[in-house]
Amino acid sequence: MKAAAALIVSLLGTSAAMTADLNDAQIAAIVVAADQVDIDAGKLAEHRAHRATVKSFAKQMVVDHGGVNKQAVALVTKLKVTPQDNPTSQTLTAGGADNIKNLKTLHGAAFDKAYVDHEVAYHQQAIDLIDASLIPSAQNAELKALLVAVRPAFVGHLQHAQQIQATLKP
Amino acid sequence: MMARAPAILSCVLIAGLLTRADAANQAVTHVIVIEGVKFTPEVLTLKRGDWVQWINKDPFPHTATAKGVFDSHSIASGGTWKYRVRSVGDIDYVCTFHPNMVAKLHIEQ
Repeated sequence: MKAAAALIVSLLGTSAAMTADLNDAQIAAIVVAADQVDIDAGKLAEHRAHRATVKSFAKQMVVDHGGVNKQAVALVTKLKVTPQDNPTSQTLTAGGADNIKNLKTLHGAAFDKAYVDHEVAYHQQAIDLIDASLIPSAQNAELKALLVAVRPAFVGHLQHAQQIQATLKP
Repeated sequence: MMARAPAILSCVLIAGLLTRADAANQAVTHVIVIEGVKFTPEVLTLKRGDWVQWINKDPFPHTATAKGVFDSHSIASGGTWKYRVRSVGDIDYVCTFHPNMVAKLHIEQ
């Protein structure tokens, strides 16, 4: 589990280093990929998680990131921006697929811990990515405002995931 | 004398209605914005009889729930919910979807 969390930290850390000159189309692709990765993990966990609190959190991630994605897609459609795949969005998508693959091998308490550990690492690194790369790089004012507006949701999710993590045995 | 009685009664009734209308007019509606997974303001001071309106500006649902006192149930993105406070004191409430969202109503007489 720690290995999976370390992997995403490393992947996102690498992608943050690669995002110096992102354009708005690339930022849009990163936002959509980041949301989709968490929606996919949440969909698996809302059925497979053992504890009710983990199931409930997973369900919330599906709803919340679905809402953020809908808002992001509506904005890029309005701005006539076509999301452009890039190394960061690809790394996020690949990392999400690896996480799903790992989670599918686990059951019960081990599944809960791996899922929640990953959620903590994922949200922390997503916040770092938003702060270090996405907000500073965004050119369009509305896209920048959207990133600023959704950042607290990631912080709220991180705090919620940390609260659950503290209740799970190491 | 007998003919005056209905007129006096009408005056009393109208006065009563006006008093009620005045009280209703004095009730204030306070707005609490839900945005960025947070209630703003987190502590709201108001008077008994006032209304509170929660407006959800996040792109996903929230609730305003004080167990045993009030429960908005799911407030959709862009949606609102109103509650009239009828007691005095502090009411702590949360969003049941996001337990780290906590806030308080401080109700004065």
